[in-house]
Amino acid sequence: MSIERLREAVKKILPEVDVVIGYRQGFDPLHATPYFISQPEQVDQLIWNPLCVQNLCSYLPFLKGKVGVIVKGCDSRTIVQYMQEKLIEREKIKVIGVPCLQVISVKKVMAKIDYQVAEEVAFEGENVIVKTPKETKTIPLAEVMPRKCLTCQLATPLQYDILAGEAIQANKPAEAFEEIKEFEQLSLEERRRYWEREFDRCIRCYACRNACPMCICQDRCVAESRDPHWTSQRANLTEKFMFHMIHSVHLAGRCVGCGECERVCPMDIPVAKIKKKISMDLKELFDYQAGINPDDLPPMYTFKVEEAKIKEHEL
Amino acid sequence: MSYLAGKELRIIGFLCNWCSYGGADTAGVARFKQPTDLRIIRVPCSGRVNPLFVVKALLNGADGVLVSGCHPRDCHYSEGNFYARRRLEMLKRLLPFLGIDERRFHYTWVSASEGARWQKVVTDFTKIIHELGPLHPKKESTE
Amino acid sequence: MRVGVFICHCGNNIAGTVEVAKVAEEARKMPGVAFATTYMYTCSEPGQEEIKAAIAREKLDRVVVAACSPRMHELTFRRTVEKAGLNRYFFEMANIREHCSWIGEDKELNTNKAIEAVKIAVEKVKQNKPLFPSRFKINKRVLVIGGGVAGMQAALDCADGGLEVVLVEKSPSLGGMMARLDKTFPTVDCSICILGPKMVDVSQHEKITLYAYSEIEEIKGYVGNYQIKIRKKATYVDWSKCTGCGACVEKCPSRNAYDYFNFGVAPCRAINIPFPQAIPKKAKIDPKFCRQFTKGKCGVCAKICPVGAINYEMQDEIVSEEVGAIIVASGYGLIDLDKLPEYGGGRYPDVISGIQYERILNASGPTAGHIVRPSDHTEPKTIVFVSCAGSRDKSIGIPYCSNFCCMYIAKQAILTKDHIPDSQCYVFYMDIRSPGKGYDEFTRRAQEEYGVKYIRGRVSRIYPKGKKLVVKGADTLLGTQVEVEADLVVLATAVIAAPDARILAEKLHISYDPYGFYVESHPKLRPVETNTSGVFLAGACQGPKDIPASVGQGSAAAAKVLSMFSKDTLESDPQIARVNQNICVGCRKCIRTCPFGAIEEQELRDGRIVAKVIETVCAGCGICNSTCPCGAIQLQHFTDNQLLAEVNALCLT
Repeated sequence: MSIERLREAVKKILPEVDVVIGYRQGFDPLHATPYFISQPEQVDQLIWNPLCVQNLCSYLPFLKGKVGVIVKGCDSRTIVQYMQEKLIEREKIKVIGVPCLQVISVKKVMAKIDYQVAEEVAFEGENVIVKTPKETKTIPLAEVMPRKCLTCQLATPLQYDILAGEAIQANKPAEAFEEIKEFEQLSLEERRRYWEREFDRCIRCYACRNACPMCICQDRCVAESRDPHWTSQRANLTEKFMFHMIHSVHLAGRCVGCGECERVCPMDIPVAKIKKKISMDLKELFDYQAGINPDDLPPMYTFKVEEAKIKEHEL
Repeated sequence: MSYLAGKELRIIGFLCNWCSYGGADTAGVARFKQPTDLRIIRVPCSGRVNPLFVVKALLNGADGVLVSGCHPRDCHYSEGNFYARRRLEMLKRLLPFLGIDERRFHYTWVSASEGARWQKVVTDFTKIIHELGPLHPKKESTE
Repeated sequence: MRVGVFICHCGNNIAGTVEVAKVAEEARKMPGVAFATTYMYTCSEPGQEEIKAAIAREKLDRVVVAACSPRMHELTFRRTVEKAGLNRYFFEMANIREHCSWIGEDKELNTNKAIEAVKIAVEKVKQNKPLFPSRFKINKRVLVIGGGVAGMQAALDCADGGLEVVLVEKSPSLGGMMARLDKTFPTVDCSICILGPKMVDVSQHEKITLYAYSEIEEIKGYVGNYQIKIRKKATYVDWSKCTGCGACVEKCPSRNAYDYFNFGVAPCRAINIPFPQAIPKKAKIDPKFCRQFTKGKCGVCAKICPVGAINYEMQDEIVSEEVGAIIVASGYGLIDLDKLPEYGGGRYPDVISGIQYERILNASGPTAGHIVRPSDHTEPKTIVFVSCAGSRDKSIGIPYCSNFCCMYIAKQAILTKDHIPDSQCYVFYMDIRSPGKGYDEFTRRAQEEYGVKYIRGRVSRIYPKGKKLVVKGADTLLGTQVEVEADLVVLATAVIAAPDARILAEKLHISYDPYGFYVESHPKLRPVETNTSGVFLAGACQGPKDIPASVGQGSAAAAKVLSMFSKDTLESDPQIARVNQNICVGCRKCIRTCPFGAIEEQELRDGRIVAKVIETVCAGCGICNSTCPCGAIQLQHFTDNQLLAEVNALCLT
């Protein structure tokens, strides 16, 4: 897939929409940033490379009018989930799908380059070459793959109006929730201490919530409200734990696994793990995966009179 | 004044007004003896019980939480307990992942005529919570 | 805030195991409590006066009564505080009797529990807001679904009471199951003779609009203000022209149509008038069997019809009606014969159901009232009736009793003897259920006067032997096995819910039990109301019942509607959901999860879509509240903050 093809696609749909959301170079060589294109001249600044990690769909429920958006496979699940929840009008969105086999985790790259400042970044073949004041390091892309790419089945997006490239097959093993099952091998005490340690670092910055495409309550979030008053602003473990429970429970059956929450957490808390656990449970209970089929109903907002997999609990 | 330390543990029950609260009343009318730990909060329907109420209780000092509603299909509001069943099942599987023993949360369906059954639910659940012991061994400071 | 707390002794019921004085003492220390006292019997008149006096004297603005269950006396005390000038929702009850004093003996533990029950009630009442019921206008018209005897009775009572009635009947004629019967027990009255006048009254009543061969398409709205869409199904005959002369039926060449009215006892013509006393007496074409529809050529009826009423191009038509209340009288169904293969049901033509036998007995039925075997049209001499064919059988999911089979078997056996004097009837029964007036005398008559042989035992197998059917069963009173060689076997097939009962229930937002029968508000005290306000039940749709019970319920439902309409406005219960439209993000999750369709979208002036609760439909379950991610929709009197106050009172302190 070439950048030219992507720019072509954008130029093609630009007349039909008010704005196209894509990526351009960010504040430093290691970051891309969302780019709102409304004029053809802006298209030249559009980029496409494994640094394009943001889920651009998050803007869609809030933009009126016709919008174009560039999506990777993982992002396309967001579009499908929005369709299930009727948070967007699909006819008003022009989706440019881009085939993608992986992005890179900037946190992992930073670890590889000893947290030096990245002066130049280039992509060559299967490697990313980062030049820092100390050295020029060639890092295999596979070594800095974020967790979500390891089991990605959506190399070609699920939803698109134009595909900017040839459709490709996924080349990763399917999600088997190994990470979750491994964690569940720990003892109850170990698990509790793990989360107490992780949540204690939380600074209630709400970056995870703000980056999440499914969190559309924005400034009306219950975690920051007095009415209803679910959690206070006290900086103790109980309140932090409560916030993360609120966030996770609200995402039950809706989390599309885009991983943005974990990517943006400044304290490196593994927040995506909880959502993955819930997704695993809901897949088993209701054979449901968020963001796959636009005609599905999210399981927490529907029911069956007879639930095949829910047995009445005995004491 | 908190629960009698050493004798009781903090067990909270969310009971739906039409069935389970009535079932608890029936048990009372029949004088079915139960341990005293349970404190009941009345809700109109088990569908009103946001799983986060259970979480709030457990994180803030409860040692066990019980939710009880009408039997599926008998919900006074037709569908409340169907939603409750899905959401509470999701929560029950999530709690142990976070290090909270799933036996500390129990949801069940007790109708207004099932006084004897209610007695058994309360007695058995209280026994289990006592076996598990307090969830928060040291009283956590709120500051 | 000045909360008053009243601890009830309830004689010795509470004071016996709870130190009420101590509870009051601790209550006085609770933040916000201005006054606390105990009283012997708070619900008594002096007790209530005491509360009112204390409210005035201590300037209380909220009240907690710690006593019995709120399910007992919440309403009582709400009225008390209202009389004292407070909003009735500034009141909470702590249950320290059923949930405390009556279930424990340790005084220390009980007293402590009572104190905490008071604490959570105090914390809740401090969060309570004043609520005011609103009044809304009602449309004094009523929809009756179902034109059987229950529906017709309801329609007539409502119409005679001055209301406009819209009656929708699924089949082409009024009458329901009762129109199919030959005679009725225990009087052996001719069924259609007693039903016919009611049918005429309904069709001629100026206040009743009848839609026959129509079904309910959609129901929108709420009690007092329903918008109904009715599908008038295509009959392919213009009923405004059809005179019911029957010429078309006589000449129709397609003779193998399934006769719904006769339960398939014999085929009928593709164009058909269901029965001679049908009202409306109009013809209808069944396109599945009509040659014009299936083969594209015939047109005989169109040529024959003297008024040119045939119209092969007819389409279904949707009409709209607006009503204020709905009475559901959609009747019942019967289990298929092929669900009873061990009795030969669906296999042997001479094993028929009770209703099929009824049609054979009926003089206007397909055999003109001559009892003949379906297989060879000869007259049977030995007829065996099998009770409980399907009923009271857990293994096929019908554990209940079908109510009237014992009675109609006795009736049919008596009629059989009248028709065929040298016949012998046998009845295999488990019990004889004849509770009504004259019922037991009737079943006894069958045995004593008409010589019907009642055998107490079940039938295990029925199989053919030559031209007869061997009915193999047990006689438990004699302790032997029994075999009867029957010419005809009549199975009292189990009553089940009407075929589309569940679909109709969903349109009405009412619940049904595991068998598909509609659920009443209270099985003892409110048998004709549902939990959906504005929708009432009558007849067998609520559960199997005989004609007098159905008629009684029809009148009862009509009485409920008439009393509801006796006022011009209705008061709505304010314990319903309310949306804070400033917080609502318009995600619509509440709208989708509401079982009653009580929430709608509202477009604000700035273009934002938010949720809005239809106050009159909301039943107050709170599913929306626990679904809403941002807490915008709150169930009044059980809001998140109110419930959290109770949780926090128990946990955080």
